Amino acid sequence: MLQRYGRWISGVVVGDLGESVYMQGVAINSILWRRVGHSMVLALTAFLMFVPLSIFFGVLAGVKEKKPTDSIVSFFGLATMALPEFVSGVILISVFAVQLNWFPIVSVIPIGESLFQNLNIVVLPALSITLVMFGYISRMQRSSMIQVMNSDYVRAAILKGMPRKYVIFRHALKNALLPTITIIGMNMGWLFGGLVVVETLFGFPGMGSLLMTAIKTRDVPLIEACVLLITVIYSLSTMVTDIMYSYLNPRIRFQGGQR
Amino acid sequence: MKYVLYQLKKHPLAIVGIIIIIFWLIAAFFGPSMVPFTHTQMDSEHQMVGPGTNGHVLGTDSLGRDLLARIVYGSRSILTVALMTSIVSTIIGVLLGFSAGYFGGRIDAAFLRSMDILMAIPPLVLSMVVLGILGDSSILSLTLIVSIAFVPATARVSRGVLLTEKSQEYVSAARIRGENHLYIMFVEILPNTTGPIIVEATARFAYSIMMVASLGFLGVGMQPPTPDWGMMVIENKPIIAQAPGAVLFPALAIASLVIAISIFSDFVSKVLIHER
Repeated sequence: MLQRYGRWISGVVVGDLGESVYMQGVAINSILWRRVGHSMVLALTAFLMFVPLSIFFGVLAGVKEKKPTDSIVSFFGLATMALPEFVSGVILISVFAVQLNWFPIVSVIPIGESLFQNLNIVVLPALSITLVMFGYISRMQRSSMIQVMNSDYVRAAILKGMPRKYVIFRHALKNALLPTITIIGMNMGWLFGGLVVVETLFGFPGMGSLLMTAIKTRDVPLIEACVLLITVIYSLSTMVTDIMYSYLNPRIRFQGGQR
Repeated sequence: MKYVLYQLKKHPLAIVGIIIIIFWLIAAFFGPSMVPFTHTQMDSEHQMVGPGTNGHVLGTDSLGRDLLARIVYGSRSILTVALMTSIVSTIIGVLLGFSAGYFGGRIDAAFLRSMDILMAIPPLVLSMVVLGILGDSSILSLTLIVSIAFVPATARVSRGVLLTEKSQEYVSAARIRGENHLYIMFVEILPNTTGPIIVEATARFAYSIMMVASLGFLGVGMQPPTPDWGMMVIENKPIIAQAPGAVLFPALAIASLVIAISIFSDFVSKVLIHER
């Protein structure tokens, strides 16, 4: 058993993930990377949607604390946060695909075409991931914004007579972004879990649905490869978060951080 | 008690949450004897019908099974698993987190590293892979595996609250009295940390419902014929155009329960933590 593990590890190090058991003789490398590319496109689209959106609305809610805008954003955030990806996905499908017929119900790429010729299939899956992430991040952004807006230096800036917009974006936002970045990094794990669910719901040909097929067919080498990859990407994203954090916060850079 | 009522008055949303939770609890306990159909009974004359046809309050799915009955039966399994998961993961978390934080040093370091390893795999991926490979999704195995996936979170929280209490004087007093470690940890410190731990447990309850529903959706959760809300969503997805209710009602069931518990857990944290 140890020997086999050794063989697997040494294969992984040189980039050979072995062969799939279920699909006899097919090298995992040949199927995995294409799927990973698709998943990356999906995750990136979702990322580009939820990060600006949730930061914007979080700031909005934080600045207008306890006004109607704030309660609407907060309640919407709580509601979307509590919905598992597939529930919001189903609601999106029934509205946009069944009723309005704007997007396809399933995200399947026709044979012989690439993902970029079928970009409309990415929209609904990315949107359902966005909804879940929006809740977490906008809530975090809101509370850190409120904290910063009540701090002395912001009050000083406002009393100095600076324009409100300038104070919010130049002074407050810089500091209020720090906790949000940590939360985004921490939620990467949920993002990957969400990818698996969303890809299964929409039949999107990505890494998550590949992992699901592997589990259903008990294709252990393929499962290993997928989980290994998810873990590596997740750890890397955590590391990038840490590095960005120290880059953005000079206090940590110079003191070596506090534990 | 008075204080709780006062807080309830201040947060009307919490009342809504509690009512929804009570509704689902009643549905789980008494529902199966109140609905006219069982979860496996097939009505071959009325397949994929809308709400209100032939006594099917919410309609039927593609096999003619009553949706209301399936949702009500499904609430039993999901509530059982989620409740047990939040309790088990909190207990394991407290045991691990307390011993790590209390003894410190090497034990603490080993604990932190092993939690890091467990956290490197997203909880949903971890539990679906383990359940999929085991191929056995009884209530017991589901509870155990989801609990283990949640332990890093609960253990870290318990360790954190223990560390803030550890330096208090009453702990040193107990130590000087010559009490043993177990007594200090669980009789002296634990009662002072119940607030954050209960808050964490209720939050875990909401997470575990999401998790169990997601696992059911992925087909590695509760196995048929036990109805599972997540499984109902994926099973009926092909007929979403003909019978949207078959997908929407279980989805709404999950949504209402999770939102109610999140509101409740928010309320609990307001009452228990800001009390002091």
